[in-house]
Amino acid sequence: MNEKNHIDPRGPRFGAGITTVISLLAFAASLENSALAFSILVVLAVLFAWSVLSAKTHPFSLLFKRFVQPKIAPPKELEDPRPPRFAQQVGLSFALLGIIGGLIAPVLISISAAFIFLAAFLNAFFGLCLGCQMYLAIRRFGFIR
Amino acid sequence: MNTTLLITLGLLLVAVIAGATYKFFHGRGHKVVGNECVDLTKLRADKNGDPVLEFGSKATLLMFSTKYCGQCPGVRRALAKLEHRHGTLLFIVADITDRLDLAAHFNITQTPTVFVLDPQGKIRYRLGGTPKPGVIETELTKLGVK
Repeated sequence: MNEKNHIDPRGPRFGAGITTVISLLAFAASLENSALAFSILVVLAVLFAWSVLSAKTHPFSLLFKRFVQPKIAPPKELEDPRPPRFAQQVGLSFALLGIIGGLIAPVLISISAAFIFLAAFLNAFFGLCLGCQMYLAIRRFGFIR
Repeated sequence: MNTTLLITLGLLLVAVIAGATYKFFHGRGHKVVGNECVDLTKLRADKNGDPVLEFGSKATLLMFSTKYCGQCPGVRRALAKLEHRHGTLLFIVADITDRLDLAAHFNITQTPTVFVLDPQGKIRYRLGGTPKPGVIETELTKLGVK
């Protein structure tokens, strides 16, 4: 494995913090105004897809590098970027579920926003990456190959 | 107070409780009853490129990891340090990303999962997630690792 590609693990957690706020807003909006919640979900989906395709150019990553990283101590250890990337794919699939499902039943927008919020919150504040943890379970039960 | 605000705060509360519960139970592990031994020929683990054919003289730590596991590299380093400190301890890592047979056999749903094995390879203790400080060390002391 190439150590050079490894990332500061606090970067994805910082991004998850922002995702926490956006997804909570999407959830609150979904109870009042599904059109607004729908557009926030589209933004989230774009942000997730961006992370999956090109994490280095992602706005959250640039914000982290520009404003946060210079103010904190250098990282104790670097992390493999694949686990957070996989988690972003899980986030993307939830956002897509809300977007596609939301066209049929608006309640799916709330469910999707709630799941994204839970996953992002646990990642940002408790360091628990749900997507990474579930990876094995998901594969063992045959949802992905 | 309107309903939207209440439900949203409710969701926030659920998230905090879920996180706190996770923090509390995570990394504690439990004793394993029964006589199951790990079969090294079926495990097909390797250490620095060589196949592992023998257990550690006092104990073996077997860690299951996947390519996607974020916490595994840190746990791996911590356990490798333990191995370095104790000559009677062997530490092996099994990557189960493409070994779902192993995951199913040992009923592993999360990584890292760490097994503490006795000199015969019998599973004595299992722990899912990042071990809390001292938990693994206590189990190793029970097996006479100095």
